[in-house]
Amino acid sequence: MARLRRESADTKDKLRKLADEELMELVAGNDADAFEVVLERHSDAAFSLAYRICGRRALAEDIAQEAFLSVWRSGARYDRARGSVRTWTLGIVHNRAVDTLRRSGTHERRLISDEGLAETLEAPERTEVQAVEKATSREIQGALSELPSEQRRVIELAYFGGFTHTEIASMLDTPVGTVKGRMRLGLRKLRDELKDWEAAGR
Amino acid sequence: MNPLDSDFDCPQLSDAAAYVLGSLEDDEATRFREHLRSCAQCRAEVAELQPVVDELPLKVAREDAPDALRERILTTVRSEAAVLHAAGHEADEPPRRSSWRSWLGSPIGVAVGVAAAVVIALVLVIATGSGGEKVFRGHISASAIGASATLRQHDGRAELTVSRMPQPGLGRIYEVWLSRGPGNAQPTTALFSVTSKGDGETDVPSDLHGIREVMVTSEPAGGSLRPTRKPLIQIPLNS
Repeated sequence: MARLRRESADTKDKLRKLADEELMELVAGNDADAFEVVLERHSDAAFSLAYRICGRRALAEDIAQEAFLSVWRSGARYDRARGSVRTWTLGIVHNRAVDTLRRSGTHERRLISDEGLAETLEAPERTEVQAVEKATSREIQGALSELPSEQRRVIELAYFGGFTHTEIASMLDTPVGTVKGRMRLGLRKLRDELKDWEAAGR
Repeated sequence: MNPLDSDFDCPQLSDAAAYVLGSLEDDEATRFREHLRSCAQCRAEVAELQPVVDELPLKVAREDAPDALRERILTTVRSEAAVLHAAGHEADEPPRRSSWRSWLGSPIGVAVGVAAAVVIALVLVIATGSGGEKVFRGHISASAIGASATLRQHDGRAELTVSRMPQPGLGRIYEVWLSRGPGNAQPTTALFSVTSKGDGETDVPSDLHGIREVMVTSEPAGGSLRPTRKPLIQIPLNS
């Protein structure tokens, strides 16, 4: 019995040294221990994203749970050429969270999203404090808050609010072309920040 | 030359940002994907902007995922892994044991499961003339004192509910066993963990036909083929 426990602990230690991509090969072979390490690494980020999008903890838990079970069951479909395990996993979380929002109806989405929006617009200091305390990539988060507010707003409504560009245009009473233009400008600005950040070697 | 800085922009180029943000309408997104095959400029724009969107999830305030969430996910994963490994090794495994894997946990799956259960229940009611529920209480061992366990059997299904159980221990999980008599313990795919309050529940994958006793032991994560510890719960079925 003690031997069994030690073997299990040794296995876990070995798995923790593997890269995500190597773990996913084991997950594709139905290795639950390898999956546990993937879950340890990414569950906080997945839950945080789901919570930011849907605004309710219980719902965020359901979304994260479905997303990770989907990662487990479709692990064989992971293709490292198309991005990191983290990106793939968070992409699944994002899709499910936005699907959930869209199914829940426009009114509720608007409510949730407007609350989120009000929070970021009215309390930039608090957002900044949270960023410093909690974010793993502070510099990039800073870049988003430094965008001109009309650019940040359309990006947040699209990505975290799950709204289409035509919905955003009517919510903001702005032409569709302007909304798309702001998305493009905002993302390109973030891209430049990201490149500077990478060039700085961090 | 960077296609983003070209003076001759493709008219669809302005859709790329909305596309990577998932903000195009469904039919627009489909059209844009088709367009990407033939437009190098738009492909380059998507390739530039996609990594930015991939980083957006990390810009949110960091929340800690609840431990109970991870435990729930792992309980399901471990029981599915056990079934898959058993199915891989034993050719005589009943096919239904792997078939529930694909729909377990999804809302549609639950609906299908409920529908199937209703059909099975109807068949059973016709066959037995009774859909009544039987409830069995468990005996709790000294090391889990204060805990309680209830097994509900109805419509050919059985469900085990526990409360105030101790944690199974680091890297361990509770496993349900079926005994046909003294010294006999058949492993099941029912592996479960408990919440911080010690609550937990699991379906017991058996109609309990010919079973004398249902037992629960703490086992290394992933489950065991033979009990490695003394049962914490023993539920005699006086049928």
